[in-house]
Order: sequence, then C-alpha cells, then structure tokens
Amino acid sequence: MIKDIATSGNAGILSFIQALNINRINQIISSIARKFSKFSTIAKPFSRFSIEGKIGIFGVICIILMAVFAPMITIYPPQKITGDSLEPPGPGHILGTDELGMDIWSQICYGARMSLTIGLAVAFAAGFGGGALGILAGYMGGHIDQGLMRVIDVTMALPSFPLLIVISAFLGPSIFNVIFVLVLFSWAKPARIARSQTLSLKKNNYIIAARNYGAKPFYLLWRHIFPEVMPVLLVLVIGISSHAIIAEAGLAFLGLGDPTSKSWGMMLNHATGFRSIYFTPYWQWWLLPPLFMLIFLLLCLAFISRDMERILDPKLKIKKGF
Amino acid sequence: MEKDRNSFIFRLLSTLFVILAINFFLPRMMPGDPFSTTSADEVGEEIIVMTEEQRLYYLNYYGLDRPLYEQFLVYMKNLMTGDLGRSIYYKMPVSDVIMLHLPWTVLIVVGATVISTISGVILGTLSAKNRKKGSDRIMMTGLIAFAEIPSFLLGLILLLVFSVYLRLFPLAGAVTPFADYNGPAEQAWDILYHAFLPIVTLSLSQLTGVYLLTRNTLITVTTKDYIRTARAKGLGEKTVWIRHALRNALLPVVTRTGFMIGIMMGGVVLVESVFSYPGIGMTLRSAVVGRDYPLIQGILLVIAVSILVCNLLVDKIYGKLDPRVGI
Repeated sequence: MIKDIATSGNAGILSFIQALNINRINQIISSIARKFSKFSTIAKPFSRFSIEGKIGIFGVICIILMAVFAPMITIYPPQKITGDSLEPPGPGHILGTDELGMDIWSQICYGARMSLTIGLAVAFAAGFGGGALGILAGYMGGHIDQGLMRVIDVTMALPSFPLLIVISAFLGPSIFNVIFVLVLFSWAKPARIARSQTLSLKKNNYIIAARNYGAKPFYLLWRHIFPEVMPVLLVLVIGISSHAIIAEAGLAFLGLGDPTSKSWGMMLNHATGFRSIYFTPYWQWWLLPPLFMLIFLLLCLAFISRDMERILDPKLKIKKGF
Repeated sequence: MEKDRNSFIFRLLSTLFVILAINFFLPRMMPGDPFSTTSADEVGEEIIVMTEEQRLYYLNYYGLDRPLYEQFLVYMKNLMTGDLGRSIYYKMPVSDVIMLHLPWTVLIVVGATVISTISGVILGTLSAKNRKKGSDRIMMTGLIAFAEIPSFLLGLILLLVFSVYLRLFPLAGAVTPFADYNGPAEQAWDILYHAFLPIVTLSLSQLTGVYLLTRNTLITVTTKDYIRTARAKGLGEKTVWIRHALRNALLPVVTRTGFMIGIMMGGVVLVESVFSYPGIGMTLRSAVVGRDYPLIQGILLVIAVSILVCNLLVDKIYGKLDPRVGI
C-alpha cells in the first residue's frame, strides 16, 4: 500500500503523508525514494534523446516484444516442418518457408530471442563484471592494478574475431560456449574505463572525507564510486551488446553457432549454404528477412548508444583517460 | 619515452606469447587424442581401430606422451623453423596451403586499405572545408549510419544487389574458372573484376573511421596559429589546406591505417565467406568445418603475426614521420 503511493510519485500524497509526520512511513518513503534516485540517472536522459535515439529505443522495444511474445504472434513452431519446401510468402506462411518447410516468420521471431539473450548476457557479464574488476583494481592500486593493466593490454591487442572462431571451433558449438568466449574478449574495455574513472574519483575530497569518517572500502565503492561509474558503463554495455550480436551472427554464419538453435545468423548460414540460392528467387524471402532484422537491430542499438554518449559527453571526455 | 617504447614491445611480445599458448594448449585440452577416433566422417570411409599398442606407438611417434613443457619447446622450435605441421584435409604442409591462399587476402586487404584511406581523407577534407553546411551534415549522418553495419552483412547486401539482382559482378571466386587469357592485362582485369566487390565491402566498413578522424583533426588543426600565419603570408587557400593543414592532420591517419589492417584481418574471414573468395579467411572457414586443426592453428598464427607486424610498422613509420615522437 505504502509502496504504491510512493511509486505513484504523487507529490500531493507525499506531502500529505509527510504532514502526518509519522516517522516510520517517512523513513520507508525516503528509502524508496533513494532507491529511485539511483535509477533516475537512467530515466532522466530519456527526454533528452534526439529523434533518432527515440526511434532506436522504439525499435529495440519492438524487437524485445517480438521475442517475448513469439509464441503468440506466430502460428507455427519454428523447428517443425509445417509446409512445403521453399513456399513463397503467402496467406499460409506470411514470409514463406525454408528448404525444410519451416515457417520463416516464426524463425525470425524466435531468432530474436537468441540474438537478444546473447547480446544482453554478454553485455551485462562483461560490462558489469569488467567494470567491477576495473573499479577494484583502480581503488586498490599497487601490484594488483599493474597486473590487471597488463592483462587488459594483452586482451585488447588480441585479434578477437579470428580467436573467437578458433576457440569456438575447439570448444564446440553451444550457446553457453559462445557467451563465455564473447565475455572473455569484451570485458577489457569496461574494466579499463572503470579503472581510470575510479582513479580520478578516488582523489575527490568527498571520498577522502567519507573515508576519514570511517567508511569501509565496500561502502565507499558501492555508495560513492559505483553510482558515478555506472552511467558510463551503461553506454559501454549497449556497445558491447551490439558487438556480441554481430559476433554471434558472424560465428553462426560461419557454421559455428549452436546447431539446435534458430538464430538469425544460423538462418543466414542455412540460406547461403543452400546450393544455387542466388540463381533462384528463394533468397528474396529466405535471406532478406534475417539480414534486414540484424541490420535494423544493430542500427537501433547504435542510435541509442550514440545518443547516450552525447548526453553523457562531458563526463566521458574528461574521465575516459585517453 | 624509452619506457613507453619498452612497454609497447613488451605488449606485442606478450600478445604473441598468449596467442602461441592458446594455439598450443587448446587442442591438447580437448578430450581424447587424434588416434582414438572411433567413427568415420564419411560413409564408406574405413574405420581404423588401433590396438592399445599401436596407439601408444603413435603417441610416442608424435611426441604426445612427453611432458607438456617438452612438447611446448618442440612446438616452438618447429615454429621458428617455419614448420607449421601438415594439413589433414589438403594432405600437404600447412605453410604451403597458407602460401597458396594468402596472396588473395593480401590483395583485398591492401586494396581496401588504400582505397578507404584515400577516399576517407578526401571526403574528410571536403567535409571539414564545408563545415556547418548542409553537405557536411548529410555526409556525416550517412557515413556514421554506414559504419554501424558489420562488414559481412554489408557484403551480403552488395552481393545481392550487384551480383544477384543486377548481375554486374561475379558471385564467387577470384578468377574465371578455366579462362584463357590473351596476355597479362586481361588476366589482371579478370582478377580486379572478381576482387572488386570484396574490396569495396571492406573499404566501406573502414571508410567512416578515416573520414571522421580526418575531419575532426582538420577542424582542430585549422584553429592553430600557424594556419593563421600561413594565411597572413598571403598563401592561397589550396596551399594552406594541402601543405599546412592536411599534412599535419594526416599523422593520426597513419596510426589509424595500422589498426584498420588489424580490424580487417578479423573481418576478412566473414567477407571472404560471403563472396566465396579463396583467401585465408575462406580457408579458415573450410578448415573449421572440416576440423582441420593444424590448418586452423596455422592460419590463426599468420593472422595474429600480421596484425602485430602492422602495429610495429606503424609505430616505426610514425616515429619517422613525426620527429616529436623520436626514437
């Protein structure tokens, strides 16, 4: 009940409750409000997004809805033979069927799940995992920091895509392996940026003051440093997720994706692997939809990250450290 | 400065070491060994089941029963002498297979580097000159949107439009099969004709980086005092832009070119697969599909070494071009 009132954010009710001056309610509300103010760093910039950025957000939301409600907006299951081989788009199958007679529209909808899962999983694991490592290293300094910097340097200099191909070829194709290998190659950048931000934040007076008042390292990192680093990490997370989606599509296109899954990259792989596809009209409904969806998703993500970067620009430029 | 250079060399060497280690340990971490195959890959292939004695003999023959560090030393010694092992699929030394396909990759990567650098610099200069005008805005937005499309998807689009729909360019290959040429000119034309779309794809994917870099550096450079001095001396606009502004703005472009080659060597695997272009990328794909492990490792090594060499070269050239860096 109290939560409902607080989340509605109605200033009138809030002031009314505060006027009642019930101590307990006040405490609860202020704690909830504090939790909300953490998220306001994400919510506030939305009004400042440009038109492209809003299109990007709208597009990504559409794809997310498509992935979540895939069973409801498709008639056929994606992995079952439900029609003739290579049916052109028509009333039975909206986007036609592939060479095995599977519905392409449902493959597209279910494929969105795969791309989004991999993008999000890699981005959050690499972005926040790498970020946490960077913050820790930056805060502790000394040998740990030096060692981590060496590892980051080497990781960033490695040719990531050829290595991705080789490692996933040896480890064998599965979603988990793809995610694992992608995380292995994308944690370095957020770690480096989080580290350099932490280094400059650490010298601020309010943090020194907090430490002198007896704040424990964990408290300092969680309450003072992490909220400051988070907006930048969030921009990086979007960038990493679009890289992960590209890499997954590329690996699947080469035939290194999970063969049991239907991702957009796997669809491209099947379609281009089909003998003489270019001499037949099949590519028009088999190859174009996944291609279009991938490019659409990547452009939307790019618009969002460009806008967020622009909004956070003053911070990024000063603290990025290069 | 000396310390910087040392850490740069150290970074290159440690990167090389990590790649070698991955190359060496990854196949050995996999379960089983090459001699315990129990199933045939193709129908009709004879299944050879070895007795335990035979298996041990082969393990001993290939040195796989020795301790890991000894194997690693042997591996390093072989690498130093240029021995990369034998390809299982091609039935010849890995280095020969790579040598057969590397020229094609070098052709399209070098071609794309040259084209994207030149056109990026030209477009960037035009854009910087017309700054705050409509043409600059249009060029920026267009090129930035282009840059977000990964090269292999761009390649697929180009292939569908120009080869499949318009039928202007070939669908696959690097030369016309079984062609009789009337002289080297015709042969060169045929090779260029086949390499055109892959080169355009790679250049388009790298163009935006060079363009933005040139534009932004030029805009910073033109606010410098020596540009005002040059104008005050009464030099023409052309001389000011080309001799004074562009010459200084090109320095970061040189560094960018080195990175570009690295990025392209990664992307080339996919682009070559799209165009069925017989470079090492395509070979890597078929090696992965055929589980030709020695070939996979050899190609990875070649790609990695070429990237590192490019970085080193850029560092050296940059030192020569910009005396302030100094060696």
